[in-house]
Amino acid sequence: MQVEQERHIKTAVKCEGISKTFETKRGKTYVIEEVSLEVIENEFVVLFGPGQCGKTTLLNILAGLIPPTKGMVVVNGKPVISPGPERGFVFQSVSLFPWLTVMGNVEYGPKVRGIDKETRQKKAQYYIDLVGLKGFENAYPNQLSGGMKQRVGIARAYCNEPVVMFLDEPFGALDAQTRYLMQEELIRIWETEKRTVLFVTNNIEEAVYLADRIILLTNSPVRIKKEFVIDLPRPRDYTSEDFLLLRNTITKMMDKTL
Amino acid sequence: MIVNKRVQSSAAAAVSIFMFLLIWHLATRFSELGNILPSPIEVLTAFFVGFVVPVGTHTMFVHIVWSLSRVIPFYILGSAVGIVLGITMGWYPKAEAVFRPIFEIIRPIPPLAWIPISIVWFGIGEGSKWFLIFLAAFITVTMNVYTGAKVVDPVIVRCARMLGANERQIFTTIVLPSSVPFIFAGLQVGLSSSWATVVAAEMIRSSEGVGWIIISSLDVNDTVQTLIGIVGIGTVGYVLAIIIRGIESKLCKWNKRGI
Amino acid sequence: MQNRDNIKIKVSNLTKKFGDLLVLDNVSFEVRNREFLCVVGPTGCGKTTFLNTLTKLYEPTSGEILVNNEPVDLKRHNISYIFQEESTMPWLTVEKNVSFSLEIKRKTRAEIKKSVEEVLEMVGLTKFRHYYPNELSSSMLQRVVIARAFVTKPELLLMDEPYGQLDIELRFKLEDELLRIWKQTGTTVVFITHNIEEAVYLSERILVLSLKPSKVKKELVNHLPRPRNIIDKDFVTLRNQVTELIKWW
Repeated sequence: MQVEQERHIKTAVKCEGISKTFETKRGKTYVIEEVSLEVIENEFVVLFGPGQCGKTTLLNILAGLIPPTKGMVVVNGKPVISPGPERGFVFQSVSLFPWLTVMGNVEYGPKVRGIDKETRQKKAQYYIDLVGLKGFENAYPNQLSGGMKQRVGIARAYCNEPVVMFLDEPFGALDAQTRYLMQEELIRIWETEKRTVLFVTNNIEEAVYLADRIILLTNSPVRIKKEFVIDLPRPRDYTSEDFLLLRNTITKMMDKTL
Repeated sequence: MIVNKRVQSSAAAAVSIFMFLLIWHLATRFSELGNILPSPIEVLTAFFVGFVVPVGTHTMFVHIVWSLSRVIPFYILGSAVGIVLGITMGWYPKAEAVFRPIFEIIRPIPPLAWIPISIVWFGIGEGSKWFLIFLAAFITVTMNVYTGAKVVDPVIVRCARMLGANERQIFTTIVLPSSVPFIFAGLQVGLSSSWATVVAAEMIRSSEGVGWIIISSLDVNDTVQTLIGIVGIGTVGYVLAIIIRGIESKLCKWNKRGI
Repeated sequence: MQNRDNIKIKVSNLTKKFGDLLVLDNVSFEVRNREFLCVVGPTGCGKTTFLNTLTKLYEPTSGEILVNNEPVDLKRHNISYIFQEESTMPWLTVEKNVSFSLEIKRKTRAEIKKSVEEVLEMVGLTKFRHYYPNELSSSMLQRVVIARAFVTKPELLLMDEPYGQLDIELRFKLEDELLRIWKQTGTTVVFITHNIEEAVYLSERILVLSLKPSKVKKELVNHLPRPRNIIDKDFVTLRNQVTELIKWW
């Protein structure tokens, strides 16, 4: 008797009809309008599009930092109503706790959740090593470069062992070359510790380099314009023909904001 | 390189003090000022003599200790209460709504103006002096800490929430540490404020202390005595400020710019 | 008559030390009149020190900088700069922001008016002259910055990573606009960037710096015909060539 193997495709993040509006003197303004998407487990999804605020708002809603005006978000089968440790977040601006060392920052999540010192420091050390900062455990954020600070941010989010990682343009403030380095590092880290990832960026090279799937968004209001599956093998080559072609295709489809 | 800078700034300080004394000396020697102002040599001599020969009933040293004994404990108490109130007002809007208006009314009143009330409430013994010093520290520290607690970085708060901190933990692990630089700013200013208030405080019937030295000198019209009182207040205040700065640099390593 | 064969800038043996720290080591190169030169290098190679030394913000430890065959003199030579994080003055209108540099140079009212008109026309902001910066989009703000730099009709324009943090789409648009204005005005441009693709897109020649202490690693001539296409095989080849020279990551 042949037992058929069922392939389990688990949905990690699902949202339906997400809208976010603001009341102004002129009436209701839609920041986000009827966005529905689904992300499967361990998928690396990039939210890409022009403009500044809309994508971040959408990401914040999916992570539970702000509530939607309409619609619901479900992560791992549970509805999202507030921030929580099973959704790790890496912010664009430097958001490390300046009075804590690298170790202090990374172990913060487990610490406030009551995990004992030995366990949590062991875990924190693992992630500090993983992001390539071994030896910097006792450094303070003001002693670190931009790229290093973001590595700590990633380690800190990971250390809480979240189900889904949300990253909001984490490399936006870095120069072009350090950015390349960080993109490679992120993929290396992600392939070692697979998680579902939702990543926001306005840099097309970054999007095509990182993503399994790119969700192209419009701006003002944010809506899903098109989805692109990127099945190039990793590690990807920024100047390969396929890469450049994809890049061009997606850029051409982008909304013109100017 | 850094040591070099510190040596440079100490040298600069020494030079500027020396220049000040020199100008003072020349002014008293060669101008009309000499009729009303004693020379620095006179003053400094009298100051150091005061450590051996009593001024009034005590030597300089004892006077200084008396003043410190009044100021330090109530500076600490005033600061402690100020820190608690400041953080609470800064972080909890309800507390702010309740306490801020009262605070804004009290704030502009100088210690001197409090003397009559202080005497009525606490008599003319030590209690009324303690109250003035407490008040000086309390008001300054509260203001600084309140400002600090109000400007806690919202991104950092959001981070802490994402990592699973509850409201109480956010207060203890985020609001408190991020207020520390402001607390120290408040402590610095509060200390000079409290110490300076010692003059007003010792106006209330006392017979010792650096404030008393100044006040009693007015009775006997002894300018030298006034000035040695001022020198006493100035030097002790300076030393106290250095001590606090030293403590701050130990505790606030993270606030300095990267090495 | 200044033509393209004249040397606009000649840098010889430029060295800059901060105490014991050697940042620029014997850098020598030339820039021709009306040329668009891009300077690239690995992160931290001292590009900003390089620019600051060129503009005399820092005194070089040794070496010589000649503009039009004379030692560089900010009072005599008409040099404009656009830096990273260039910002407009929020309390001035577009028109006043642009005329600011002319007013500092004490030009007459009539001269100022004419120059400002011309340059606003050139960047397409004539209709917005009375707007304030906080009423403008980021692309328009960038155009105000360019207008402000070009209103003095500079003979030399130095740019340090001006488009670093911008949207990719905005970036392409601004780069095209910069090229158009460059062609129109005949200014010599030295453009410093970390972004290799940008350098290949804009430049006629690329100066590649090494890691600190910085030397000139290589000079590459960029013959690609305009308009350039980032997907083009030759474009990619040149891009990879430059990347190979500076890759540290």
